[in-house]
Amino acid sequence: MSPVQVRRAAIVGGNRIPFARANGPYARASNQDMLTAALDGLVGRFGLAGERLGEVAAGAVLKHSRDFNLTREAVLGSALAPETPAYDVQQACGTGLETTIHVANKIALGQIECGVSGGVDTVSDAPIELNDDLRRILLRANAARSPLERIATLARVRPGHVIPSTPRNAEPRTGLSMGEHQDLSTRRWEITRREQDEYAAASHHKLAAAYEAGFFDDLMTPYLGLTRDQNLRPDTSVDKLAALPPVFGEREGATMTAGNSTPLSDGASTVLLASESWAQERSLPVLAYFVDAETAAVDFVHGDEGLLAAPLYAVPRLLQRNGLGLGDFDFYEIHEAFASQVLMTLRAWEDPVFCKERLGLDSPLGTIDRDRLNVNGSSLAAGHPFAATGGRIVATLAKLLHDKGSGRGLISICAAGGQGVTAILEAA
Amino acid sequence: MSGAVSIVDAPPSAATLYIRALATVVAGRKGGDALPQRRVAATIERVDPDRVAEYARVCGFRLRDELPVTFPHVLAFPLALSLMTADDFPFPLLGLVHAANRIEQKRWLRLDDSWTFTAWAENLQPHRRGRTFDIVQEAAVDGEVLWLERSTYLARGGSGGTGGEARTSGEQRAPEGERYGVGARLRIPADIGRRYAAVSGDRNPIHLSALSARPFGFKRAIAHGMWTKARCLAALEGRLPGAFDVEVSFRKPLFIPGKARLVTRKIPGGWDLALTTPDGTRPHLLGTIHERGA
Repeated sequence: MSPVQVRRAAIVGGNRIPFARANGPYARASNQDMLTAALDGLVGRFGLAGERLGEVAAGAVLKHSRDFNLTREAVLGSALAPETPAYDVQQACGTGLETTIHVANKIALGQIECGVSGGVDTVSDAPIELNDDLRRILLRANAARSPLERIATLARVRPGHVIPSTPRNAEPRTGLSMGEHQDLSTRRWEITRREQDEYAAASHHKLAAAYEAGFFDDLMTPYLGLTRDQNLRPDTSVDKLAALPPVFGEREGATMTAGNSTPLSDGASTVLLASESWAQERSLPVLAYFVDAETAAVDFVHGDEGLLAAPLYAVPRLLQRNGLGLGDFDFYEIHEAFASQVLMTLRAWEDPVFCKERLGLDSPLGTIDRDRLNVNGSSLAAGHPFAATGGRIVATLAKLLHDKGSGRGLISICAAGGQGVTAILEAA
Repeated sequence: MSGAVSIVDAPPSAATLYIRALATVVAGRKGGDALPQRRVAATIERVDPDRVAEYARVCGFRLRDELPVTFPHVLAFPLALSLMTADDFPFPLLGLVHAANRIEQKRWLRLDDSWTFTAWAENLQPHRRGRTFDIVQEAAVDGEVLWLERSTYLARGGSGGTGGEARTSGEQRAPEGERYGVGARLRIPADIGRRYAAVSGDRNPIHLSALSARPFGFKRAIAHGMWTKARCLAALEGRLPGAFDVEVSFRKPLFIPGKARLVTRKIPGGWDLALTTPDGTRPHLLGTIHERGA
């Protein structure tokens, strides 16, 4: 066996469509429409029309069964060479970052020279399924060996079966929504309403400032009339957010509102990764390198850890493997599923008891300098089309590192199912 | 082109015009030897994205900011209809056969473009089965014509008979032992005529149902020619540059519901298109795409 050479995977750039609120301007767009739009924007930006890439990896969390080959179908409809392979990944809100890890690893191992990662989600065009009992009856009738058996099976259809089942934002094993789960964690970590609202307002203001500065000009393709994220409220304030009613958990002491939680959104994002030589041959920039990644999961079902706490465990392992401390980063990108998820993450890593008992550390992991955290805003302001968030964050961080010219950045994304995907990028 | 241009604020309602068209059939009016010289024009400030989405869904296009090349046809359709249903038009609308359609596009038209459409009739020619004429429609953005369409219609009979026979629309068998090639299998649903009518405004009865098609000589409803053209072009998603010409001729009517074979073949500087019977022997549509600057 020949020894495997590992090389650095470079992030060349990214492209996404602005994120829309559910049932907004993208209400009529399918996942395939949006992913194709984001992909073709990337192809246009980097002159890849007609090129055969190593692969395209993307996915969607809410997906129609007819979209089993969603990413490949998007590639076939894009300006890329039809000889570009593609596949779908689904790891809830971690999808976009997980696809980036896949593509970066293949580049690092020399299996491919370049590839695109990404993700897309629509809540507006979500699949609605047949009532599950009806579905079973139809399948059984289809498999029936005689007409009589078929009739007998179909006779079991009841009027109530016409009511379809819609996808729910709930954990299958607990029946609790993500917000309800996070409400439990918010109480456990005693995150106040005021802290959450202050954090959310800052996210909007930072994203607005980034737009004003033109930061997203080369990261975005307008789509269906949107030129910036629809959810962004540049003029929101702590006072305005304080007026919103809590929406998750038991009313007594509830703190999480529509303002300090991410809205249901539609959108798509893509990231172009390559070997350094591939980028060089095409005179394309290298914004940053993909250094390492760690994915963790927690037992939120029978254990006592929170649904969105997995990144708390992933990051310490990632840091240890890379010989880094929590303070050794110039930028931190922590996905804002909820303001309280970010605040809980910061608090846990500062907490000596949590760090000792849960992480097995002798001292707290450390404190994150707030001035380096989500400096251009994040999901609270931009919106959060589940699988599209990872690509948004990777491209944003890569550009931040490129603009700074040095340093490294940490990405942390919590996901349904008690999972967390984290990664380190380094300036080129 | 000479002739007065009448500007209308908004394209007239297709439904109203169809009622007028039916009335001309009933009255048996029409005839004459000359096409009207005038032009009609209308401005469209902004397209409704929902309308584009619905059109894209019916024809198989992806929803994007660049509009399907055939979409302006349905935007401008009421203009063409207003010409063809006016008192000075020599042929009755119902019973006309859409024989060919050519579109030239300089770049993709976009959702956020504002357009001025102009439409007129020209090129009256004798034909062995009657007479043909062209309806020309052009779309200008900021004064520049970016999209131009020429639809050729056949008016059968001497001076405007309304009877029609399905087989008159030009069957053309591939040479013995030869087929148009392998291709994709299309299953065309029974309601495609009604769905396309809803998004295009083209409510010609021959497309809506067997019952409404029969008085016009068709034993079942037939697919709109422009739907078949759109469906073929949708299959080339991602493969076409912004500037191209696409010319098709409509052959054997495609009865719905039905199956068809879609054959696309790359040729130097463009594509050959064929929509044929499922066995690949007889065409419903034959066409060619020429990429501009190729």
